[in-house]
Amino acid sequence: MDLLIDGLKKAIDMILSGDQEVFAITWLTLKVCLISILISTLIGLPLGIFLGLTRFKGRRLLLMFINIGLGLPPVVAGLWITMLLWRSGPLGGLTLLYSPTAIVMAQILVSLPIVTSLTCTAFQQISEKMLLQIKALGATKVQTLWLLIKQLKIAILAAIMAGFGRVIAEVGAAMMVGGNIQGDTRILTTTIVMEVSKGNFDIALALSFILLSVALLITAALTFLQQRKRIS
Amino acid sequence: MLKNRYLAFLFAMMLLVLAACGNAGTKDSAEKVKKEEPKAAPTEMILATTTSTQDSGLLDVIIPMFEKENNVKVKTIAVGTGQALEMGTKGEADALLVHAPAAEKAVVDAGDGINYKRVMYNDFILVGPKENPAGVSGDDIMAAFKKLADSKATFVSRGDDSGTHKKELGIWEMDNIKPAGEWYVSTGQGMGQTLQVAAEKKGYVLTDRATWLAQEKNLNTLQIVVEGGKDLMNIYHVMQVNPEKHDKINSKDAEKFVEFMVDPKTQDVIEQFGKKEYGQSLFKKYTE
Amino acid sequence: MSPLLELKKLTYQAQRKMILDIPEFQIETGEFLGIMGPNGAGKSTLLKVLAFLDQQTSGEVLYRGQAIPNGNAPLELRRKFSIALQQSLLLDGTVFDNIAIGLTLRKVPKSIIKEKVEQWMELFAVSHLAKKNALYLSGGEAQRVNLARAMIVEPEILFLDEPFSALDFPTKIRLMEDFKGIIEEAQTTTVFVSHDLMEIHFLTTKLAIIVNGEIKQVGPTPRVLEHPNSSTVSFLNEWKKFYPVAR
Ligand SMILES: Nc1ncnc2c1ncn2[C@@H]1O[C@H](COP(=O)(O)OP(=O)(O)O)[C@@H](O)[C@H]1O
Ligand SMILES: [Mg+2]
Repeated sequence: MDLLIDGLKKAIDMILSGDQEVFAITWLTLKVCLISILISTLIGLPLGIFLGLTRFKGRRLLLMFINIGLGLPPVVAGLWITMLLWRSGPLGGLTLLYSPTAIVMAQILVSLPIVTSLTCTAFQQISEKMLLQIKALGATKVQTLWLLIKQLKIAILAAIMAGFGRVIAEVGAAMMVGGNIQGDTRILTTTIVMEVSKGNFDIALALSFILLSVALLITAALTFLQQRKRIS
Repeated sequence: MLKNRYLAFLFAMMLLVLAACGNAGTKDSAEKVKKEEPKAAPTEMILATTTSTQDSGLLDVIIPMFEKENNVKVKTIAVGTGQALEMGTKGEADALLVHAPAAEKAVVDAGDGINYKRVMYNDFILVGPKENPAGVSGDDIMAAFKKLADSKATFVSRGDDSGTHKKELGIWEMDNIKPAGEWYVSTGQGMGQTLQVAAEKKGYVLTDRATWLAQEKNLNTLQIVVEGGKDLMNIYHVMQVNPEKHDKINSKDAEKFVEFMVDPKTQDVIEQFGKKEYGQSLFKKYTE
Repeated sequence: MSPLLELKKLTYQAQRKMILDIPEFQIETGEFLGIMGPNGAGKSTLLKVLAFLDQQTSGEVLYRGQAIPNGNAPLELRRKFSIALQQSLLLDGTVFDNIAIGLTLRKVPKSIIKEKVEQWMELFAVSHLAKKNALYLSGGEAQRVNLARAMIVEPEILFLDEPFSALDFPTKIRLMEDFKGIIEEAQTTTVFVSHDLMEIHFLTTKLAIIVNGEIKQVGPTPRVLEHPNSSTVSFLNEWKKFYPVAR
């Protein structure tokens, strides 16, 4: 109990005193997570819409793989990315291992299936008749898509939030592909793991409070966007 | 027809992402060049080392010194000694800072590691529950391990192929004991976590002194029971990975790093490290 | 002069089953055409083909004498038509925005949209619902919004697919009366699909009876109802038992 209060005090201390390193780590965490979820959204949203609205050969198989991806353990994603980026691996020439870019890659790998699958589920539930009605209202293809996206805003933002939750909570892959390098790839979750192993529970707790605050802030913003202007 | 339009849309989105990535990339590197204007962009070197050096905080002090002096960006990957050596063998690291002399010798003999130099030492200690149920003490670690096995007192092992784990296995081997059974707990985790497990389970555990000193404050059920014997030396070596065996090895900076670690100036910094906080050095200079 | 819409040698098949087979059929400007037939006769399919929302298997659809490429009607042509279905299929948003949607999609200036929406809300007696979410309306209210949404773009042809059939009787009567007045005022060419003789009798001026994908009889509504031919007599007589059409 004392430790909890100490941690909370320390967290407030760290924030108020403008601790450079904590600030840098939090900023990197935010940057990496937001870029990952942005790219996952930019790919997963169109892909999910496409899979939800069309029927073609191999669609089910593709969906099955994406749904398997929902349960992809982050350390497995981390391992794959590591092997891909090894100096001796196929992408070794890019020297991306142990860089923030590598973390972004791993986080895209774990969040893309979530965004895609949840988006697809939402769009699959649009009835044939609704599509017909929208077309009959004089909508072009692009206008139809835009209307549907607006209609399914809640579901789409839920998909993005679920993806973001996965990304910000993730530690195994970030540790493996990032290496937890000071001033470079150290993010909140990996720092927490390290501080726990150093026995600095107070710092770890303080960082966990900061992590929670960040997650809360982002999710609150997305929820606000999601629930805005819902008229009755 | 409908499908084609969506495909086109998807394709456009992909292009957008790629464009964004490309932009970000060029902007990033442009920024870097700008920041380091007077100097050239720093080269990158990967240092594979053990969790114990990182957890003690020593690296946070000496790595920035090296980076500044040589305009290098060091990527420190803290893993178990086994994994660190493996990274060297695979050519995934440029320099190694490790503490398992027997295993290191194999790597050097195979020609995977070159420019192999002794850097520093601290010592291992056996810590155990304050009640000391096995009644071990003194400085003879082999006798102590035998007693532990005989009394089947709980023993917590790292079990992670780290330098400390290798050391522990070496002692069991010298005693001709194969530790197994309910009393022998293997955590597969770092030193810090393993100490915490030992504190919870009231077990004995072999640890390096640096980690013990850093964590003692959280471990009030444990105390030092055996220390000081010659068999308990924990010796650290540095080496560079053989650039002839792999592409992409940064041997220039690795060589500089080896020189840096044995440089008298660095050695003084190592010896001073921790004195203020713990009243004693965590590592002692020990060049050849 | 060529008719507004015309079908020539049209067939529509789905899974090798013939669903529509119409050698020829015309829709003239200004008429209120009823299309009546039993469930599964092909009424909705015919409506979709006429409104260029579906592709026929063979044959042609002509607009003012001009053949329109199958499945590839230009947007401007599609935008001359409006459709309202049995389910109102309103979007998540205000009643105002729902009625405005056709104009919004056509990029009509905001000030004109506001004026027109207010005018059509007034006509369909839904002005008091303007700020309500369209998803929370009663069946009758929703169908009024649906019809207003279809009519606001002042279509050349208004297509209706059983818009009243899910409403309870008093609601249906009230809406149909309002609707009849509005249509007569606007003089919109209307194609009205229904299986309900009462609705057909009350609203339409011309009637086509469709059974098994074939148009069995076409003519002014009173004449068709009074003088069914050999292929429509059994279907119409069934209905007349419950709804005697007086003369
Ligand atoms: N895409 C389709 N695939 C198979 N059968 C269809 C399809 N569309 C319509 N049908 C069949 O065509 C017939 C006519 O349907 P519809 O036009 O909806 O009839 P109505 O509106 O007169 O009740 C029905 O038997 C229906 O099952
Ligand atoms: Mg129908």
